[in-house]
Amino acid sequence: MSNLAQMLEASGASVEAEDDFDAINALMREKGWSDGLPVVPPTEARVAAMLEYCDRPWDQPIAKIPPRWGEATPLRLAANAVMAGCQPRYFPLYMLAIEAMCEEPLNLYGVQATTHLCAPLVIVNGPVARELDINCGHNAFGPGHQANASIGRAIRLALVNIGGAIPALGDMSTFGSPAKYSYLVAENEAESPWEPLHVERGLPREASAVTVIGAECPHNVNDHESLSPEGVLTTIAGTMGIAGVNDIYYQSHPLVIMGPEHAKMAAAGFSKSEAKKFIQQRAHVAVGKLSRENIDRRVRITFKERLPNPKPEDVIYAVQRPEDLLIAVIGGAGKHSAYVPTFGATKPVTRALKTADGKLAKSVEDFRRR
Amino acid sequence: MNQKVRLVVPEAPSPQAVAVTETRAVASGGIRLGVLDNSKGNADHLLKFIVDGVKAQLPVASVVSLRKDSVSLPAPDAILDQLAAESDYVITAMAD
Repeated sequence: MSNLAQMLEASGASVEAEDDFDAINALMREKGWSDGLPVVPPTEARVAAMLEYCDRPWDQPIAKIPPRWGEATPLRLAANAVMAGCQPRYFPLYMLAIEAMCEEPLNLYGVQATTHLCAPLVIVNGPVARELDINCGHNAFGPGHQANASIGRAIRLALVNIGGAIPALGDMSTFGSPAKYSYLVAENEAESPWEPLHVERGLPREASAVTVIGAECPHNVNDHESLSPEGVLTTIAGTMGIAGVNDIYYQSHPLVIMGPEHAKMAAAGFSKSEAKKFIQQRAHVAVGKLSRENIDRRVRITFKERLPNPKPEDVIYAVQRPEDLLIAVIGGAGKHSAYVPTFGATKPVTRALKTADGKLAKSVEDFRRR
Repeated sequence: MNQKVRLVVPEAPSPQAVAVTETRAVASGGIRLGVLDNSKGNADHLLKFIVDGVKAQLPVASVVSLRKDSVSLPAPDAILDQLAAESDYVITAMAD
C-alpha cells in the first residue's frame, strides 16, 4: 500500500543525522521540532513500526492544521508520535484526535493562535480507551500513564511542527498553559451513573470516540459537605459564576467534570439533562462584578436585546443554554469536581474511531496491517 | 565517529504563498476600498488612520467599512461577499 523508503526520498521528507541521542536532540531543538523536553529519535524503523497501525495512505493528508495549514500526513504524524513516546498501537486514536480537532466547529485556528490560554482537550470514550489503558481515574489529568502522556504530547508536537503553533509566532498565548504539553484523558464510564459522553452526543455505546474541546485547565470544585443532589450541583454552579472567563460572552460549551462521588450523589436526584438545567440556571455572574468599561464596551453590545440597560444585579450566564453544557465523569475517589472554561469561540467535536472502510473499530488491532 | 541515521521530518512546510497575478480593474475615479474591522478594541481607530493614509496617497472612489461580531471567529460569508462585490482592495487589522 505505501512504500516508506520511497516516500522518504521526497524533498524535505527526511534528514540525515549522527546516530547519537544527544546529537539528534540537539538537532531537534535547533530545528524547533521539540516541546523543550527530549524526544525519541524518529528513525525510519520506529516510524515504520508506528505506521503498521495505519490503514490509510501514508503520504495523503488527513487534515490541515492551522495556523500554518500544514498537511498532516500519517507519515509526519507518525514521526511526531514516535518523538512523543507513543506505542504504535496508540496511532489510530492519535490520528482520530487530530482529525476531530481540525473540524471547523472547533475553530482550531482561533484555539491555536489566540492570546487566551486554551488548548485542545481530548476526552476518550469506548472500548479503545480501556484497551489502551488511558487513565480515567485517580490523577487522570496528571502524570503516570503512558497513553495519556504520550498521545497528548504527540498532539502538541503536531500542533507545533505541522500546524505552526510556535510560541510568539503562530501561538500568541499570553501565558500558555501546562495543558499545552499534554491534555488527554478518558471518561470513567464504569463509575458514571449516567450515559457516557459519546453516547449522549449521538454515537452508539460500542463505539470508541474522542470529544475535543478548546479548553482551559480544570478548576477544582471542592464540596465535602453537601449530602444532596441539589447541594453538590449548587456548589458546582457557584464555582462557574466568575468574571473574566471567555464563556460568558459567547454561546459557549464549557465542561463540568464530575468526580464519581459527586456524580453519584447528583444522579440520585437528577438525570444528566436535568443536572445541566439545574447548573445552567444557577451558574452566572452578576453584572456588578464586571468593570464599568466591560459593561459599556461588551455587555451592552453582546447582550443588547436581553440587557439593553444592564444593572449590577442582572446576571450573565456561564453557559447560555442547558444543552450546551458538557458533563463528563472523570477521576477517582474524593469529593471533588472541576469546571473547565473554554475559549468561548469554539464548539466541541465528537468523532468515532472508524477503519478506512467506514466501519466502527472494535479494537486498534483493526488498523494493523496484515 | 557515530554512524549516520535517517530521521523522518516531523514538520510540514508552509503552503506556498500565492502571488497575486490578477491585474485589478480599478475604476478611473479611484480605488474602491474595503475595510474589515475585526471588532477588537481600537481596531476601528487603527483602520481609520490607515484609510486616511491611503486617501492621502491614492485616489479613493469609495470606502465600505464592515465589522465582524467576534474577533475570534471568521467573518461570515455575507460580509466577505459584500467586500468582494464592493471593493478592489480590503484592509483588515488587529488592534487592542
